[in-house]
Amino acid sequence: MSEPREAPPAVPSVEVAELLGRLDRGDDLVILDVRNDEEFEDWRLEGRRPGTTVHVPYFDFIDDPEAALARVPRGRELVALCAQGGSSEMVVDMLQEAGMAARNVKGGMVAYGEYLQPVRVPPRPGEQDRFELWQFNRRGKGCLSYVILSGAEAVVVDPSRALDRYLEFVRARGARIARVLDTHIQADHVSGGPALAARVGAPYFVDAGQGFDLKLTVAPLHDGEVIRLDGGAAVQVRLLATPGHTPGSTSCLVGDRHLLTGDTLFVSSVGRPDLGGHVVEWGRALFRTLHERMAALPDDTVVLPAHYSGAAEIGPDGVVAGRLGDLRKSVPEMQLATEDEFVAAVRAAVGKPPDSYAEIIKVNLGAPPPPEEKVTEWELGRNQCAVAARKTKAAAPGAR
Amino acid sequence: METRKLDVRGAKCPIPVVKAKKAIDTMAPGDVLEVTATDPGSMPDFVGWAKTSKLAVLKEQRRDTDETGREVFIHVIERKA
Repeated sequence: MSEPREAPPAVPSVEVAELLGRLDRGDDLVILDVRNDEEFEDWRLEGRRPGTTVHVPYFDFIDDPEAALARVPRGRELVALCAQGGSSEMVVDMLQEAGMAARNVKGGMVAYGEYLQPVRVPPRPGEQDRFELWQFNRRGKGCLSYVILSGAEAVVVDPSRALDRYLEFVRARGARIARVLDTHIQADHVSGGPALAARVGAPYFVDAGQGFDLKLTVAPLHDGEVIRLDGGAAVQVRLLATPGHTPGSTSCLVGDRHLLTGDTLFVSSVGRPDLGGHVVEWGRALFRTLHERMAALPDDTVVLPAHYSGAAEIGPDGVVAGRLGDLRKSVPEMQLATEDEFVAAVRAAVGKPPDSYAEIIKVNLGAPPPPEEKVTEWELGRNQCAVAARKTKAAAPGAR
Repeated sequence: METRKLDVRGAKCPIPVVKAKKAIDTMAPGDVLEVTATDPGSMPDFVGWAKTSKLAVLKEQRRDTDETGREVFIHVIERKA
C-alpha cells in the first residue's frame, strides 16, 4: 500500500530540456500533472506535438492513495509534474511503491518557465558566413530573446534573467557581448538587460518613451541609427522606432531582412497597447507604425517577435517567425483598415493584464527588484503581451 | 469538540496537506484543525483537497501576519463524521 511520505528518498528525475526534446519529437509518454485545478487550467507544459496529459491533483494521492493511483494510466512511460517539483516527487515515490515506474520533472513548472532553448534562425542565401542570428526561446513563458553573432562580437536583444546562458553561449563561440538592447520596457518578465550589460561592461539601451519614468542610465540610440558589429563589414543592426505597444518600442533590422519586432508585431497578433493606461493614444501610434512606418519594409522581411502565444506558433525548423508579407494578410489586427476601427477592436479584445505587470514594469524602469522568490512568482505563466492569444497555426510556413 | 493547531510555516507543498491529513486522521468527527502556512499555494490546494476529501471539510480560510511579520495563510478544517 502506497502512503505519502513527508521526505521521500530521491526518485528518478528528468530535466525540462530533455522532456521538451522528447515531446517535440513526438515520443509517447504521459505527463501526470499533479497541480491544483486552477494552476492546471491556467498554464500547462506543452511540446510541439500534441501529447498526453493526465491531471490528478497531488492532494488526491494524499487523501485517498488507492483511488488516485487507479486514475494513473498503466503500461505507459510516466513523468510527474507540479509547480516546483516537491509534490510530484512525493507522487513518483508513491507510484514506485505501487510498482509503477515514473520520473519526476525536476523543478516543475518553475523550471519550465525559466528554461531557454537556443535555436539558430536559418540564414538567407549569401548570409550564411556573415553572421549568426540565434533565437533563445523561453518555452514556458513564450518569451523570445536574440543573440546576433558576427566575428568576435555579439549583440544580445531582450535577454531574460538567465544571464549565464547568454554569457556561456557567446563565450563558447569565442566572442564577447558588445551591446545589450531591450526593444521595449517589458511587462511580463524582469529584463536581464541591465544586469547582463553591467556584467560584461557593455552599453545598455532601452527607449522607455513618454509616459514612463526611466530611472536607468542608458546609452541612447536613435531612430535609424546603425550598430556595427566587429567593424561592421559583415552585419549591421539598424534601429527603427516602432511606437505603439509602448511609446519607446524599437525594432531592429539585422542585416537586410531579419526584423526583431519586439512586441510590435507577432506571428498571430500585435502587441497590446493598453499597458500604460493610454490605450487610445498608444493604439493609434501602433496602427501608424504597422501601416506607415513598416510600409517600406519588403514582404520577404522575416519577422522575429519578442513573444509568442503557444507551441503551435513554433515553425517546423523550431523558430518562431513569419514572413512580413504573409503576416500583413493573416494577422487579424492587420486587416483593420482605419485607425478608429483598429483602436476600437483592440480595446475590445484586450483582457485585464495580470496584476504583476505593473510591478514588473517598475523594476524594468530601474526600481530595486524584490527577492528572487517574488520575481519567480510574478513571472509564473505564459506571457499576455498580445492583443489576442490565438490557437491558430503560425501563418507562414516556408517563410524563411 | 477539540480544536487543534498545526504550524507548517516555511514548508512547501506537499508538506502542509500531508501533515493536515495525518492530523485529521487521528481526530474525532466535529473536531477542528487550524493550519498556519506560509506557502501561498496552500490556499487553492486546501480548497482542492477539501473538495474531494472523505474526511476534511474546509470551514474558513484567511490571511494574516504572524509575530515575525510574515504573511500567513490560515486554513480551518473540520473532521467529517
